[in-house]
Amino acid sequence: MEVVKRIWKRNWIGYLFLTPWLIGLIGLTAIPMMTSLYLSFTSYDMFTSPDWIGAQNYLEMFQDRKWIASVKVTSIYVFLGVPLQLSFALAIALLLNKGIKGLKVYRAVYYVPSLFGGSVAIAILWRQIFGGEGLINNLLAYLGLQGMNWISSPDTALYTLIVLTIWQFGAPMVIFLAGLQQIPVDLYEAARIDGAGRFKQFVRITLPMLSPIILFNLIMQIISAFQAFTPAYIVSGGTGGPLNSTLFYTLYLYQNGFTQFQMGYASAMAWILLVTIGIVTALVFATSKKWVFYQG
Amino acid sequence: MKKRHLLGILLTLVLMIVSACNSGESASSDDQGSGDSSSTENQTDSGSGETGNKDAEEQEQVEIRFTWWGDTGRNEIYNAIVDRFEEENPNITVKREFGGWTDYWDKLTTQTAGGNAPDVVSMHQFYVSDYARRGALLPLNDFIDSGIIDTSNTPDSVINSGKIDDDVFMIAKGITMSGYVYNTAVLDELGIDYPDLNWTYEDLEKLSKQVVEASGGEIYGTSDYAGGQLQPNFRYYLRSLGKDLFTEDGQLGFESDDLNSWWAMWDSFRQQGLIPDAATTTEYEGAPLEQNMFVTGKTAFSQIPANQITLYQNQFDEGEIQIVRIPTPVGGDSGEFIEGAYLSVTESSENPEEAAKFINFFVNTEKSLELFKVEQGAPGNTKMSEFIKPLLEAPQVRTVEFIENTVELAKPAPYSPTGVTELEQVYKDNASAIAFGQMTVEEAVVDFMDQAERILK
Repeated sequence: MEVVKRIWKRNWIGYLFLTPWLIGLIGLTAIPMMTSLYLSFTSYDMFTSPDWIGAQNYLEMFQDRKWIASVKVTSIYVFLGVPLQLSFALAIALLLNKGIKGLKVYRAVYYVPSLFGGSVAIAILWRQIFGGEGLINNLLAYLGLQGMNWISSPDTALYTLIVLTIWQFGAPMVIFLAGLQQIPVDLYEAARIDGAGRFKQFVRITLPMLSPIILFNLIMQIISAFQAFTPAYIVSGGTGGPLNSTLFYTLYLYQNGFTQFQMGYASAMAWILLVTIGIVTALVFATSKKWVFYQG
Repeated sequence: MKKRHLLGILLTLVLMIVSACNSGESASSDDQGSGDSSSTENQTDSGSGETGNKDAEEQEQVEIRFTWWGDTGRNEIYNAIVDRFEEENPNITVKREFGGWTDYWDKLTTQTAGGNAPDVVSMHQFYVSDYARRGALLPLNDFIDSGIIDTSNTPDSVINSGKIDDDVFMIAKGITMSGYVYNTAVLDELGIDYPDLNWTYEDLEKLSKQVVEASGGEIYGTSDYAGGQLQPNFRYYLRSLGKDLFTEDGQLGFESDDLNSWWAMWDSFRQQGLIPDAATTTEYEGAPLEQNMFVTGKTAFSQIPANQITLYQNQFDEGEIQIVRIPTPVGGDSGEFIEGAYLSVTESSENPEEAAKFINFFVNTEKSLELFKVEQGAPGNTKMSEFIKPLLEAPQVRTVEFIENTVELAKPAPYSPTGVTELEQVYKDNASAIAFGQMTVEEAVVDFMDQAERILK
């Protein structure tokens, strides 16, 4: 107690300066999170007060076909979309790192899509490009090929959204580029003198030197992919269709909460998502000891 | 010592919160200042005759919020009506909120749950029971008894359509009936006879075949109405067979055989190419009116509520948009029931009396109806209905005539039980699974009935 008092006496001005942030943390994060944790154990339709039902929401999920469908869709999206997006970002970053003229312009241009990539406008644009009479099909028709309705077919709808995430490679690319420029040139010079080819240089120097940045990008993109909402919401008109093929986890969560009046169930889903993201991130960290190389 | 420090922190906190509130309030009042409240304030000062019988205290500025769904055309009309109401009631300011149909309901749910629902909300039969049974709406009986809302010129059938059990929860802005429309120019060009006002699904099939043949496969008969919303199409079908979606006590009002024959019929239309394939249907799902299949010339017939005839007519340079009843199964009875758009006052309203006054102005005064005309259906007030008739353009006259003809066939329809949105989702998913060939009709029916039992338990 005496210790606490002493710390308090020494630091109270510091806490005072922290209050704006503390208010935000408590009011906008901590309290809502705790409320949602409580609600996840209730049946709550938002009009009447919540009824405590224990773990029933959590148990129900595993029998809910649509929940299972949404887990499947989101998993494909994360585990296919993120590696593809990062590979693409790295490839472009390598190209731009060749010391070409006008690097700043290219960097800006390639970064632009990820600025408004999550926006409604782009999702609408995507509908136009991949629609039955969209740009892609017109191009195919020009080549004499019969296109299909990419967005409205259950087999292809999700992949059009994965293409959309890949297209938003700008943010990880800029970070990769910064990382690449940090790699000392003398390493490459030494390697060349020892007779290492380009591929060997990439595998033995670039990748290890870049691995902390790869880890960072991987984690950030995995987290944001799990939380993806806007593209599926707009492209499918909020339905997650056709046939639940774009029913992202967050979209189904939203449907439960705000159109089906099942806020308790939606809260339980949110907590499962949080825990899942936590576990996946922890797994990535655990494996990182094996492949991330920290200099010095 | 410690206490003083805590006090200091608390004071700082309070200061910050207070200043935050202040800035919020001043921002919002600035907002209104740019509108027309500055002029209304002046009027209050000079004292207006209309509300002179009220205490000076009650003359204080009151703010109510009003929300509706619709397109930009409707927003203009409703804003103008609200402006006129504010002119007449200088002490009441009406804040307006609006959005498209789907967003409207999502937003209203959230607002209601958060306890900040608007005072006057636009309501619909399909959702009213959800809101009323959960205690989110105010019964309007007292306002009707005290004459704040005048219903003396409104037929009982219309008043009853806003009742749940014995309480009136909503007042009709406009009532409407659903039908199938076609464009005369399109059918003329294809050389196809117009459908009869009373037609059957057999006629629809026959005419659709002719459309597909005559257009060389360019035009479908109609959109795929096997799924989507539960009403009106499936509901009309059930009612023609003497059943309904729901019973009065909130159970399913039909058997698996009924659903089976409904989905089998549409499946056969689909197999014959009379309606679009599943992917095309999905693509046009939720498309705005200007881009839907009928307006873009991809279908010859389309199911719409009669109040929208004008909106459709405006999209075509040639031909007249004519409306006929929704087809019945051969030998079936009429499936009609009254639909419409309504106004309700929310339970959380702090100024329910002003809200009721606004509703009365909206549905019972010439100043309002002069602008409303048949925007969301024919006025419920028969006197107003007569008043607007000379003001109408040809397509609006067709709306009124159709509603007058079919409203006589209308019979009451039980309200939907809670959980109806979830049920509708299952209906939609299963219909779509049939269309994409992922389920047979039989499988889809069995699955629907199982899930319905779980949802409505």
